[in-house]
Amino acid sequence: MIEVDESKLIRCPICDAVNIDKGKKNRCRRCDSAIYHHRNFSTEKSWAYLITAMIAYIPANLYPMLVSNAFGIRDESTIIGGVVILWEHGSYPIAAIIFFASIIIPVMKFLILLYLLISVKYPLGKDKKVNKHKLYYVTEVVGPWSMIDVFVVAILAALIHLSSVEILAGTAATAFAISVFFTLLAAHAFDERLIKENR
Amino acid sequence: MIMKLENENDLDNFIICHKCFTLHEEVAIADGSKACCRKCGYILYRYDSKLIDYGLALSFTGLIFFIIANFFPVLKIDILGSEQFITIPKTIFSLFENQFYIVGLICLFFIFIFPLMIFLINIMIFSMLKLQRGTKLTKELLIILSHIIPWSMADIFFISILVALVKLISFGQIHIGISFWALMVFVLIDIYITKNIHISEIWMLRKKVLLSKDKD
Ligand SMILES: [Zn+2]
Ligand SMILES: [Zn+2]
Repeated sequence: MIEVDESKLIRCPICDAVNIDKGKKNRCRRCDSAIYHHRNFSTEKSWAYLITAMIAYIPANLYPMLVSNAFGIRDESTIIGGVVILWEHGSYPIAAIIFFASIIIPVMKFLILLYLLISVKYPLGKDKKVNKHKLYYVTEVVGPWSMIDVFVVAILAALIHLSSVEILAGTAATAFAISVFFTLLAAHAFDERLIKENR
Repeated sequence: MIMKLENENDLDNFIICHKCFTLHEEVAIADGSKACCRKCGYILYRYDSKLIDYGLALSFTGLIFFIIANFFPVLKIDILGSEQFITIPKTIFSLFENQFYIVGLICLFFIFIFPLMIFLINIMIFSMLKLQRGTKLTKELLIILSHIIPWSMADIFFISILVALVKLISFGQIHIGISFWALMVFVLIDIYITKNIHISEIWMLRKKVLLSKDKD
Protein backbone atom coordinates (compact mmCIF):
# COMPACT_ATOMS: atom_id res chain seq x y z
CA MET A 1 0.00 0.00 0.00
CA ILE A 2 1.36 3.41 -0.95
CA GLU A 3 0.03 6.88 -0.33
CA VAL A 4 0.49 9.68 -2.82
CA ASP A 5 -0.47 13.29 -2.86
CA GLU A 6 -2.63 13.95 -5.90
CA SER A 7 -0.52 16.99 -6.78
CA LYS A 8 2.49 14.64 -7.07
CA LEU A 9 1.04 12.97 -10.13
CA ILE A 10 2.42 13.86 -13.55
CA ARG A 11 1.65 12.79 -17.08
CA CYS A 12 4.18 11.16 -19.36
CA PRO A 13 4.54 13.38 -22.45
CA ILE A 14 5.11 10.35 -24.69
CA CYS A 15 2.49 7.78 -23.68
CA ASP A 16 0.14 9.78 -21.38
CA ALA A 17 0.57 7.33 -18.47
CA VAL A 18 0.06 8.81 -14.99
CA ASN A 19 3.27 8.70 -12.97
CA ILE A 20 4.35 9.64 -9.45
CA ASP A 21 6.74 12.59 -9.44
CA LYS A 22 9.86 11.27 -7.71
CA GLY A 23 11.99 14.35 -8.13
CA LYS A 24 15.05 14.66 -10.32
CA LYS A 25 15.09 11.61 -12.54
CA ASN A 26 11.60 10.57 -13.43
CA ARG A 27 11.22 7.69 -15.84
CA CYS A 28 7.82 6.68 -17.10
CA ARG A 29 6.76 3.32 -15.64
CA ARG A 30 5.06 2.35 -18.92
CA CYS A 31 7.37 3.51 -21.72
CA ASP A 32 10.65 4.41 -19.93
CA SER A 33 10.72 7.96 -21.36
CA ALA A 34 12.28 10.66 -19.24
CA ILE A 35 9.79 13.04 -17.63
CA TYR A 36 11.00 16.41 -16.41
CA HIS A 37 9.27 19.33 -14.88
CA HIS A 38 10.11 22.95 -14.74
CA ARG A 39 11.68 23.16 -11.32
CA ASN A 40 14.66 20.96 -12.02
CA PHE A 41 15.01 21.21 -15.73
CA SER A 42 16.80 24.07 -17.42
CA THR A 43 15.09 25.86 -20.26
CA GLU A 44 18.30 26.34 -22.24
CA LYS A 45 17.46 23.88 -24.99
CA SER A 46 14.10 25.45 -25.65
CA TRP A 47 15.64 28.96 -25.56
CA ALA A 48 18.33 27.93 -28.07
CA TYR A 49 15.76 26.50 -30.50
CA LEU A 50 13.49 29.52 -30.12
CA ILE A 51 16.30 32.04 -30.70
CA THR A 52 17.45 30.11 -33.80
CA ALA A 53 13.87 30.16 -35.08
CA MET A 54 13.52 33.91 -34.49
CA ILE A 55 16.85 34.68 -36.19
CA ALA A 56 15.88 32.54 -39.21
CA TYR A 57 12.56 34.39 -39.41
CA ILE A 58 14.36 37.67 -40.27
CA PRO A 59 15.89 36.54 -43.63
CA ALA A 60 12.64 34.64 -44.25
CA ASN A 61 10.93 38.02 -44.50
CA LEU A 62 13.71 40.00 -46.18
CA TYR A 63 14.65 37.63 -49.01
CA PRO A 64 12.34 36.62 -51.85
CA MET A 65 10.09 33.63 -51.23
CA LEU A 66 9.16 33.22 -54.87
CA VAL A 67 11.10 34.09 -58.02
CA SER A 68 9.33 34.04 -61.36
CA ASN A 69 10.84 34.33 -64.81
CA ALA A 70 8.34 35.10 -67.55
CA PHE A 71 9.70 35.84 -71.01
CA GLY A 72 12.90 37.28 -69.63
CA ILE A 73 11.25 39.43 -66.99
CA ARG A 74 12.41 38.45 -63.53
CA ASP A 75 10.06 39.09 -60.65
CA GLU A 76 10.82 38.45 -57.01
CA SER A 77 8.36 38.61 -54.15
CA THR A 78 8.81 38.31 -50.41
CA ILE A 79 6.22 36.71 -48.13
CA ILE A 80 4.51 40.04 -47.46
CA GLY A 81 4.90 41.02 -51.13
CA GLY A 82 3.15 37.82 -52.16
CA VAL A 83 0.27 38.55 -49.79
CA VAL A 84 -0.07 42.09 -51.15
CA ILE A 85 -0.11 40.83 -54.77
CA LEU A 86 -2.80 38.26 -53.95
CA TRP A 87 -4.85 40.93 -52.19
CA GLU A 88 -4.57 43.33 -55.13
CA HIS A 89 -5.69 40.58 -57.50
CA GLY A 90 -8.79 40.06 -55.41
CA SER A 91 -7.85 36.66 -53.95
CA TYR A 92 -8.81 37.80 -50.46
CA PRO A 93 -9.31 34.38 -48.82
CA ILE A 94 -5.96 33.07 -50.10
CA ALA A 95 -4.19 36.31 -49.14
CA ALA A 96 -5.71 35.97 -45.67
CA ILE A 97 -4.65 32.30 -45.34
CA ILE A 98 -1.04 33.06 -46.34
CA PHE A 99 -0.92 36.14 -44.10
CA PHE A 100 -2.25 34.14 -41.18
CA ALA A 101 -0.01 31.10 -41.79
CA SER A 102 3.21 32.99 -42.52
CA ILE A 103 2.99 36.08 -40.30
CA ILE A 104 0.38 35.75 -37.54
CA ILE A 105 1.04 32.12 -36.51
CA PRO A 106 4.87 32.34 -36.36
CA VAL A 107 4.87 35.68 -34.51
CA MET A 108 2.16 34.47 -32.12
CA LYS A 109 4.15 31.29 -31.45
CA PHE A 110 7.32 33.30 -30.75
CA LEU A 111 5.46 35.53 -28.28
CA ILE A 112 3.69 32.67 -26.50
CA LEU A 113 6.89 30.61 -26.20
CA LEU A 114 8.81 33.68 -24.98
CA TYR A 115 6.11 34.34 -22.40
CA LEU A 116 6.04 30.70 -21.26
CA LEU A 117 9.83 30.47 -21.07
CA ILE A 118 10.09 33.68 -19.04
CA SER A 119 7.15 32.82 -16.82
CA VAL A 120 8.63 29.52 -15.65
CA LYS A 121 11.65 31.42 -14.29
CA TYR A 122 9.91 34.58 -13.06
CA PRO A 123 6.41 34.82 -11.59
CA LEU A 124 4.98 36.60 -14.59
CA GLY A 125 1.22 36.79 -14.89
CA LYS A 126 0.69 34.51 -11.87
CA ASP A 127 -2.12 36.70 -10.58
CA LYS A 128 -3.85 36.95 -13.95
CA LYS A 129 -4.70 33.23 -13.97
CA VAL A 130 -3.50 32.62 -17.50
CA ASN A 131 -4.11 29.03 -18.46
CA LYS A 132 -0.65 28.19 -19.73
CA HIS A 133 -1.65 24.66 -20.72
CA LYS A 134 -4.35 26.01 -23.00
CA LEU A 135 -1.96 28.58 -24.45
CA TYR A 136 0.56 25.87 -25.18
CA TYR A 137 -2.08 23.54 -26.58
CA VAL A 138 -3.17 26.22 -29.07
CA THR A 139 0.39 26.78 -30.32
CA GLU A 140 0.88 23.04 -30.65
CA VAL A 141 -2.23 22.67 -32.81
CA VAL A 142 -1.86 25.71 -35.09
CA GLY A 143 1.96 25.78 -35.21
CA PRO A 144 2.58 23.37 -38.13
CA TRP A 145 0.11 25.28 -40.34
CA SER A 146 2.75 27.94 -40.92
CA MET A 147 4.34 25.49 -43.38
CA ILE A 148 1.62 26.26 -45.97
CA ASP A 149 3.58 28.89 -47.90
CA VAL A 150 6.68 26.68 -48.16
CA PHE A 151 4.58 23.81 -49.57
CA VAL A 152 2.81 26.16 -51.99
CA VAL A 153 6.16 27.44 -53.29
CA ALA A 154 7.40 23.85 -53.67
CA ILE A 155 4.30 22.92 -55.70
CA LEU A 156 4.49 26.00 -57.95
CA ALA A 157 8.22 25.57 -58.55
CA ALA A 158 7.79 21.89 -59.45
CA LEU A 159 4.90 22.59 -61.82
CA ILE A 160 5.98 25.73 -63.69
CA HIS A 161 9.41 25.25 -65.17
CA LEU A 162 9.35 25.94 -68.88
CA SER A 163 12.19 27.73 -70.62
CA SER A 164 10.03 30.82 -71.15
CA VAL A 165 7.93 30.77 -67.97
CA GLU A 166 9.49 29.55 -64.77
CA ILE A 167 8.85 29.73 -61.03
CA LEU A 168 11.66 29.14 -58.56
CA ALA A 169 11.74 28.96 -54.79
CA GLY A 170 13.62 31.84 -53.17
CA THR A 171 16.16 31.96 -50.34
CA ALA A 172 13.37 32.83 -47.93
CA ALA A 173 11.86 29.37 -48.40
CA THR A 174 14.89 27.77 -46.74
CA ALA A 175 15.03 30.39 -43.97
CA PHE A 176 11.32 30.05 -43.33
CA ALA A 177 11.40 26.24 -43.26
CA ILE A 178 14.30 26.38 -40.77
CA SER A 179 12.36 28.87 -38.67
CA VAL A 180 9.25 26.68 -38.53
CA PHE A 181 11.32 23.57 -37.81
CA PHE A 182 13.09 25.18 -34.85
CA THR A 183 9.89 26.70 -33.46
CA LEU A 184 8.39 23.20 -33.44
CA LEU A 185 11.52 21.85 -31.74
CA ALA A 186 11.37 24.63 -29.14
CA ALA A 187 7.72 23.87 -28.45
CA HIS A 188 8.35 20.14 -28.09
CA ALA A 189 11.38 20.71 -25.86
CA PHE A 190 9.19 22.90 -23.68
CA ASP A 191 6.28 20.49 -23.28
CA GLU A 192 8.04 18.47 -20.61
CA ARG A 193 8.53 21.49 -18.42
CA LEU A 194 4.89 22.46 -18.36
CA ILE A 195 3.70 19.17 -17.00
CA LYS A 196 3.35 20.04 -13.35
CA GLU A 197 2.41 23.65 -13.54
CA ASN A 198 -1.19 24.73 -12.87
CA ARG A 199 -2.13 21.31 -11.57
CA MET B 1 -5.54 15.33 -1.67
CA ILE B 2 -3.94 12.06 -0.55
CA MET B 3 -4.73 8.92 -2.53
CA LYS B 4 -4.17 5.31 -1.45
CA LEU B 5 -2.93 2.82 -4.02
CA GLU B 6 -2.14 -0.91 -3.88
CA ASN B 7 0.90 -0.37 -6.06
CA GLU B 8 2.11 1.97 -8.76
CA ASN B 9 0.34 0.05 -11.52
CA ASP B 10 -2.97 1.15 -10.03
CA LEU B 11 -2.17 4.51 -11.59
CA ASP B 12 -3.30 2.95 -14.87
CA ASN B 13 -6.82 3.56 -13.60
CA PHE B 14 -6.19 7.28 -13.71
CA ILE B 15 -5.90 9.65 -16.61
CA ILE B 16 -4.76 13.26 -16.85
CA CYS B 17 -6.58 15.46 -19.37
CA HIS B 18 -4.41 16.29 -22.35
CA LYS B 19 -5.68 19.83 -22.58
CA CYS B 20 -6.13 21.12 -19.01
CA PHE B 21 -4.20 18.56 -16.91
CA THR B 22 -7.10 17.70 -14.59
CA LEU B 23 -6.81 14.28 -12.93
CA HIS B 24 -9.59 11.78 -13.56
CA GLU B 25 -10.29 8.25 -12.43
CA GLU B 26 -11.12 5.92 -15.26
CA VAL B 27 -14.60 4.43 -15.15
CA ALA B 28 -16.15 1.71 -17.27
CA ILE B 29 -18.28 3.16 -20.04
CA ALA B 30 -20.71 1.64 -22.54
CA ASP B 31 -19.45 0.23 -25.83
CA GLY B 32 -19.17 2.98 -28.43
CA SER B 33 -19.33 5.86 -25.95
CA LYS B 34 -16.70 8.32 -24.76
CA ALA B 35 -15.56 9.87 -21.50
CA CYS B 36 -14.97 13.63 -21.42
CA CYS B 37 -13.03 15.89 -19.10
CA ARG B 38 -15.28 17.36 -16.42
CA LYS B 39 -13.45 20.68 -16.54
CA CYS B 40 -12.81 21.39 -20.22
CA GLY B 41 -14.85 18.76 -22.09
CA TYR B 42 -11.87 17.30 -23.96
CA ILE B 43 -12.27 13.60 -24.82
CA LEU B 44 -10.30 11.50 -22.32
CA TYR B 45 -10.89 8.03 -23.77
CA ARG B 46 -13.42 5.95 -25.63
CA TYR B 47 -14.49 2.38 -25.37
CA ASP B 48 -15.01 0.47 -28.57
CA SER B 49 -14.91 -3.33 -28.52
CA LYS B 50 -14.11 -3.41 -32.25
CA LEU B 51 -11.20 -0.95 -32.05
CA ILE B 52 -8.61 -3.44 -33.36
CA ASP B 53 -10.63 -4.31 -36.46
CA TYR B 54 -11.53 -0.69 -37.08
CA GLY B 55 -7.94 0.43 -36.66
CA LEU B 56 -6.67 -2.28 -38.97
CA ALA B 57 -9.26 -1.57 -41.69
CA LEU B 58 -8.68 2.19 -41.55
CA SER B 59 -4.89 1.91 -41.63
CA PHE B 60 -4.96 -0.48 -44.59
CA THR B 61 -7.37 1.72 -46.54
CA GLY B 62 -5.26 4.77 -45.74
CA LEU B 63 -2.09 3.05 -46.89
CA ILE B 64 -3.66 2.05 -50.21
CA PHE B 65 -4.79 5.64 -50.86
CA PHE B 66 -1.35 6.91 -49.89
CA ILE B 67 0.28 4.62 -52.45
CA ILE B 68 -2.19 5.73 -55.16
CA ALA B 69 -1.57 9.37 -54.21
CA ASN B 70 2.15 8.94 -54.86
CA PHE B 71 1.93 7.24 -58.24
CA PHE B 72 -0.34 9.54 -60.21
CA PRO B 73 -0.34 13.27 -61.02
CA VAL B 74 -1.76 15.64 -58.42
CA LEU B 75 -2.20 18.58 -60.77
CA LYS B 76 -1.82 19.07 -64.52
CA ILE B 77 -1.60 22.39 -66.29
CA ASP B 78 -1.78 23.39 -69.95
CA ILE B 79 0.71 26.18 -70.27
CA LEU B 80 1.86 27.71 -73.56
CA GLY B 81 0.73 24.63 -75.46
CA SER B 82 2.59 22.10 -73.34
CA GLU B 83 1.17 19.98 -70.56
CA GLN B 84 3.01 19.95 -67.24
CA PHE B 85 2.14 17.80 -64.26
CA ILE B 86 3.36 17.10 -60.72
CA THR B 87 3.25 14.06 -58.51
CA ILE B 88 4.08 14.19 -54.79
CA PRO B 89 7.53 12.54 -55.22
CA LYS B 90 8.26 14.86 -58.17
CA THR B 91 7.45 17.94 -56.04
CA ILE B 92 9.93 16.84 -53.38
CA PHE B 93 12.53 15.73 -55.94
CA SER B 94 12.48 19.03 -57.82
CA LEU B 95 13.45 20.85 -54.60
CA PHE B 96 16.62 18.72 -54.43
CA GLU B 97 17.24 19.33 -58.14
CA ASN B 98 17.17 23.07 -57.52
CA GLN B 99 19.59 22.75 -54.57
CA PHE B 100 16.94 23.44 -51.94
CA TYR B 101 18.24 20.57 -49.82
CA ILE B 102 16.90 21.74 -46.44
CA VAL B 103 13.40 22.46 -47.71
CA GLY B 104 13.60 19.22 -49.70
CA LEU B 105 14.51 17.18 -46.63
CA ILE B 106 11.81 18.84 -44.53
CA CYS B 107 9.19 18.12 -47.20
CA LEU B 108 10.47 14.56 -47.68
CA PHE B 109 10.00 13.79 -43.98
CA PHE B 110 6.87 15.86 -43.24
CA ILE B 111 4.76 14.90 -46.24
CA PHE B 112 6.15 11.52 -47.27
CA ILE B 113 8.17 9.51 -44.73
CA PHE B 114 6.25 10.38 -41.54
CA PRO B 115 2.71 9.94 -42.94
CA LEU B 116 3.80 6.62 -44.47
CA MET B 117 5.47 5.47 -41.25
CA ILE B 118 2.40 6.32 -39.16
CA PHE B 119 0.20 4.09 -41.29
CA LEU B 120 2.72 1.23 -41.45
CA ILE B 121 3.23 1.37 -37.67
CA ASN B 122 -0.53 1.46 -37.06
CA ILE B 123 -0.96 -1.63 -39.24
CA MET B 124 1.81 -3.43 -37.33
CA ILE B 125 0.45 -2.50 -33.89
CA PHE B 126 -3.14 -3.47 -34.66
CA SER B 127 -2.04 -6.71 -36.35
CA MET B 128 -0.03 -7.68 -33.28
CA LEU B 129 -2.91 -6.83 -30.96
CA LYS B 130 -5.15 -8.95 -33.17
CA LEU B 131 -2.68 -11.85 -32.95
CA GLN B 132 -2.21 -11.18 -29.20
CA ARG B 133 1.56 -11.09 -29.35
CA GLY B 134 4.53 -8.71 -29.53
CA THR B 135 4.42 -7.15 -26.04
CA LYS B 136 7.85 -5.57 -26.44
CA LEU B 137 7.59 -4.57 -30.09
CA THR B 138 4.21 -2.86 -29.66
CA LYS B 139 5.74 -0.81 -26.86
CA GLU B 140 8.64 0.34 -29.06
CA LEU B 141 6.30 1.09 -31.97
CA LEU B 142 3.94 3.13 -29.78
CA ILE B 143 6.85 5.23 -28.54
CA ILE B 144 8.07 5.89 -32.11
CA LEU B 145 4.49 6.71 -33.12
CA SER B 146 4.03 9.41 -30.50
CA HIS B 147 7.34 11.00 -31.53
CA ILE B 148 6.47 11.26 -35.24
CA ILE B 149 2.76 12.14 -35.12
CA PRO B 150 3.36 15.88 -34.42
CA TRP B 151 5.63 16.05 -37.48
CA SER B 152 3.27 14.54 -40.03
CA MET B 153 1.85 17.24 -42.28
CA ALA B 154 -0.09 15.51 -45.07
CA ASP B 155 -3.20 17.53 -44.19
CA ILE B 156 -1.32 20.83 -44.38
CA PHE B 157 0.17 19.79 -47.72
CA PHE B 158 -3.32 19.10 -49.06
CA ILE B 159 -4.52 22.60 -48.10
CA SER B 160 -1.35 23.96 -49.76
CA ILE B 161 -2.40 22.28 -53.02
CA LEU B 162 -5.72 24.16 -52.84
CA VAL B 163 -3.90 27.45 -52.26
CA ALA B 164 -1.53 26.68 -55.17
CA LEU B 165 -4.55 25.97 -57.38
CA VAL B 166 -5.86 29.50 -56.89
CA LYS B 167 -2.43 30.98 -57.55
CA LEU B 168 -2.15 28.94 -60.77
CA ILE B 169 -5.39 30.11 -62.36
CA SER B 170 -3.66 32.97 -64.22
CA PHE B 171 -1.06 30.60 -65.73
CA GLY B 172 -3.29 28.32 -67.78
CA GLN B 173 -5.91 25.60 -67.83
CA ILE B 174 -5.59 23.42 -64.71
CA HIS B 175 -6.69 19.81 -64.40
CA ILE B 176 -7.00 17.97 -61.12
CA GLY B 177 -5.34 14.54 -61.17
CA ILE B 178 -6.25 11.20 -59.58
CA SER B 179 -3.72 11.72 -56.79
CA PHE B 180 -5.49 14.87 -55.67
CA TRP B 181 -8.58 12.82 -54.77
CA ALA B 182 -6.53 9.94 -53.38
CA LEU B 183 -4.62 12.36 -51.17
CA MET B 184 -7.89 13.91 -50.01
CA VAL B 185 -9.24 10.51 -48.93
CA PHE B 186 -5.91 9.71 -47.26
CA VAL B 187 -5.97 12.99 -45.33
CA LEU B 188 -9.57 12.42 -44.24
CA ILE B 189 -8.69 8.94 -42.95
CA ASP B 190 -5.57 10.36 -41.27
CA ILE B 191 -7.64 13.06 -39.52
CA TYR B 192 -10.28 10.49 -38.55
CA ILE B 193 -7.66 8.23 -36.96
CA THR B 194 -5.90 11.03 -35.05
CA LYS B 195 -9.23 12.39 -33.84
CA ASN B 196 -10.74 9.04 -32.90
CA ILE B 197 -7.93 6.76 -31.81
CA HIS B 198 -5.71 8.38 -29.18
CA ILE B 199 -2.38 6.76 -28.47
CA SER B 200 -3.34 6.41 -24.81
CA GLU B 201 -6.30 4.28 -25.92
CA ILE B 202 -3.93 1.94 -27.80
CA TRP B 203 -1.79 1.72 -24.65
CA MET B 204 -4.90 0.82 -22.65
CA LEU B 205 -5.89 -1.74 -25.26
CA ARG B 206 -2.38 -3.19 -25.27
CA LYS B 207 -2.54 -3.64 -21.52
CA LYS B 208 -5.90 -5.36 -21.78
CA VAL B 209 -4.96 -7.63 -24.70
CA LEU B 210 -1.28 -8.41 -24.16
CA LEU B 211 -0.39 -7.88 -20.51
CA SER B 212 -3.43 -9.52 -18.93
CA LYS B 213 -2.71 -12.55 -21.10
CA ASP B 214 0.86 -12.79 -19.73
CA LYS B 215 -0.48 -13.07 -16.18
CA ASP B 216 -2.66 -16.10 -16.91
ZN1 LIG C 1 5.35 7.02 -20.80
ZN1 LIG D 1 -9.63 18.88 -19.42
